[in-house]
Amino acid sequence: MIKAGQIEKGTALLIKGQPFIVVEREFVNPGKGSAFVRVKLKSPATGQVLQETMKTQDNVEDITVADRDCQYLYNDGEHFHLMLTDTFEQLEVPMSSFPEYELLMQDGEIYRCTFWEAELLDIIIPAKVVYLVAEAEEAVKGDTVQGATKYVTTETGLSVRVPIFIKQGEKIRVNTETREYLERVND
Amino acid sequence: MQEAALFRSKTYHAIRSFFHERNYLEVDTPILSTTVIPESTIENFATRFRNPFLPSRDLYLLPSPEIYMKQLLAMGFGSIYQISHCFRNSEQLGRIHNIEFSMLEYYSVGFDEQDSILLTENLFRALKVPKRLQPPFKRMSVAEAMKRYAGFDLEKTQRRSLLKQEALRLGLSVPDEPESWEETFNRIFLTFVEPNLPQEKPLVLYDYPRRIECLAQATGAYRKRWELYGMGMELANCYYEETDEEKIEAYYRDEYARLIQNRGVSGGVIADVDPSLAKTFARIGKVSGVALGLDRLLMGMMGRPSLEGVILFPLSAILGAGNGNL
Repeated sequence: MIKAGQIEKGTALLIKGQPFIVVEREFVNPGKGSAFVRVKLKSPATGQVLQETMKTQDNVEDITVADRDCQYLYNDGEHFHLMLTDTFEQLEVPMSSFPEYELLMQDGEIYRCTFWEAELLDIIIPAKVVYLVAEAEEAVKGDTVQGATKYVTTETGLSVRVPIFIKQGEKIRVNTETREYLERVND
Repeated sequence: MQEAALFRSKTYHAIRSFFHERNYLEVDTPILSTTVIPESTIENFATRFRNPFLPSRDLYLLPSPEIYMKQLLAMGFGSIYQISHCFRNSEQLGRIHNIEFSMLEYYSVGFDEQDSILLTENLFRALKVPKRLQPPFKRMSVAEAMKRYAGFDLEKTQRRSLLKQEALRLGLSVPDEPESWEETFNRIFLTFVEPNLPQEKPLVLYDYPRRIECLAQATGAYRKRWELYGMGMELANCYYEETDEEKIEAYYRDEYARLIQNRGVSGGVIADVDPSLAKTFARIGKVSGVALGLDRLLMGMMGRPSLEGVILFPLSAILGAGNGNL
């Protein structure tokens, strides 16, 4: 148990028996009222978002989560198949719990994953990832205006807006949060 | 930093001209006091007075100049205003909170809380505030806001158990331990109402529940009190001031009891109070008082995202951003 006043962004809490991660936290003192903390929580399992306002003195049940490495094997259209690198234990995770992660995760790659006991709560995608460009339109001749861009598709299926000089088979670094092109990567 | 200082200086000049033109007297009352008006939800700063000839004692940094300004009103000073530094302990340091902040407090003799809305609108006009803060202010009662954003009738939920039922229906986690009506109200208000209040125009939220104790006059289930919201922030609080001696005495007694109870939990300072002031406060006559948070107003006027761009040497920046709001 912790006091609601100790909640921070990233704190894992058990709300009505379900694990939630705090994604936003704001302290509020109404004009005539005691101190409250307004939190937005997200269930990593279902994606459900919850709004709660707690008194800073309220007791809340925090849970201990641990990060472990998992290798991403493949997806079958419904589940991600992952393997814990320390025990070789295999896991199936519904793809719907991590919308569009199939566009960001690369086969064979190792990801930090957050667990609460045996339950996988989160797959952590690094902020910047290098992807192989699988499809790229040819730049239109004469279209050399500075800042001109086009769309390419990575091997994972992610569509990224890039400068026109990027070609198929090249590697690009992408900000996985904004999905924006950062730079070309030369081997 | 210089820009913020210059902007504040110009704004203060405009505020002083506005009140001077209307014959309000600018006063300067102590911020270090022997007693406070009990407010159970506000923690005070205490400091120790030492003197070779007098007994040592605690003195308190005031959370608002109200305690002295009302004594001036009782002496017949007429309408008065003050720009002063106020102090609230145990509050967060963040985007819209600093434990030391600047307050503009103005008391209008002969005014009720409705007159204070018009005065505040005129003040905003005189300050040439940006579009999102411009009058006329929208108006909405607290009951209307509850109905609109939380979907229930405040009138019919005056009992603690009924309000708790609404909180549970809305999906809030309410602890099993009994809590006051006000606390449950605040949970609902802060989750469903406050974040959804319109932000494109300033909004006066009026008729606060009587059950939220304060020194504003009550009629029926409500109090003649309003709060001004602008750009998603609470900017000002207004009362039609209570002048019934017995009610003021009862407020002092009950609120002090709550204060002691709350400090028992938090371990905070229990400041001294002087219940004999009830007699004085009962003699102020027909008065409406407004307390306006100047730092937040300046933040809105300057279009700054946080108080750090407005306050010189903000404590949040000095103590580190770890306590920040988000």
